[in-house]
Amino acid sequence: MKNLSIWFIVLLLAGYGCTDGGLGFKSSNDASASAGAGTGGSTARFTVLGNTLYLVSNTTLRAYDVSNSKNPTPGKETKLGFGVETIFPYRGNLFIGTQTGMQIYDASREGEPRHLSTYAHIMSCDPVVAQGTLAYVTLRNGTPCRAGANVLEIIDVSDLKAPRLLKSFPMQNPHGLGVDGNVLFVCEGDFGLKMFDLNNPTDPKLLQHITDVRSYDVIPSRDVLIVTGKDGIYQYSYANRKELKLLSKLTIEPII
Amino acid sequence: MMPSLQTKLPGLLLVAVLLLDSCNNNRVSPTDVSDTREVYRPIYSSYEAVRNIQTLAPRSIRQAGKIYIKDGFLFVNEIGSGIHIVDNRNPEKPVKLSFISIPASRELAVKDSILYADNAVDLVALNIADPTNVRLMKRIENAYPITSYPPMRGIRFECPESDKGLVVGWQKSDDKNVNCWR
Repeated sequence: MKNLSIWFIVLLLAGYGCTDGGLGFKSSNDASASAGAGTGGSTARFTVLGNTLYLVSNTTLRAYDVSNSKNPTPGKETKLGFGVETIFPYRGNLFIGTQTGMQIYDASREGEPRHLSTYAHIMSCDPVVAQGTLAYVTLRNGTPCRAGANVLEIIDVSDLKAPRLLKSFPMQNPHGLGVDGNVLFVCEGDFGLKMFDLNNPTDPKLLQHITDVRSYDVIPSRDVLIVTGKDGIYQYSYANRKELKLLSKLTIEPII
Repeated sequence: MMPSLQTKLPGLLLVAVLLLDSCNNNRVSPTDVSDTREVYRPIYSSYEAVRNIQTLAPRSIRQAGKIYIKDGFLFVNEIGSGIHIVDNRNPEKPVKLSFISIPASRELAVKDSILYADNAVDLVALNIADPTNVRLMKRIENAYPITSYPPMRGIRFECPESDKGLVVGWQKSDDKNVNCWR
């Protein structure tokens, strides 16, 4: 009898291992923010929202119906102006970063994005992420982004038709950024990587500045931060919000 | 006898107008030997070569671009070359599984087990259920506009000609006699 119960536990553990550890792709049946889709960085130009794949090119937003994921079907094209750089899906909306501002599109009707507003700013590069009723935008100057400022802007998007600037913080040379609950990450290019406390969502407080990693974009997810750096793909744990802990580095070979 | 400027002018104007049209936000500027801006010329590839997508063994990452995560996988675009698929269930020990060679690709997204990527001017849907044997499910030709200019600014460049093939990159050139700039 005793042996039997041990075997029962062994089998239970084995079963647990099987369901949790398998490597494979989950399909659209899973209940996630955008069912069946993954997560990109803030500088992405492709995104999946619901059953639509959106691509931004320099001037255009293109929609593809991917309700059958194997068979993307071209849908609507929307002209966006020029200097379009990034697309970020948020609560059924698309936040599009351009060199002249952030455009917000309602994408609640699949494949039929509807322009809600444009938040204009000075000419610069500007990835955007959003959380709650706030959008976080980095502006950076220099090639190929023309003149401009190096700042982090916090924009109130509680009214998507009337985004308004709340605050602006000086940065060194910000590229991609990422937000996850009470923590914000900003890639500062050659100047490193910054982690901010976001317990007050409109008042980021610097927690840590890693200066020896040249960083360009991040994906924060489940306490693991993936960073694209100049010489590697770095992964950090941010479970301890005070300090990043390096987990691994995939080396990027220098160009000869 | 050499043709005079007057007889050449209408032809030059026509060329200029055509270039203006084809160079998107880039304009024709008169060739000026004192112009010290860097010059680039397009690297062309045939459509056949560009449209050849292959699954290769894992290899070192060279020029990392966009990253993407889904279900324990990490995808790393190698700018202009393809996508590294990484088993990232243990972020302390990421394991490269394969490299999908997708010429002239920079972007990606995944839904279910289908990876969408740009392949020069095309959009491709790839089945990555088996990352070591990636299969092309659909190709939408000319979905993505040709980027007819280099990513750098404050430079001059040789205007691309579509009958020479697809522009898959840019390299520095010593030829000062070029007509496009940005």
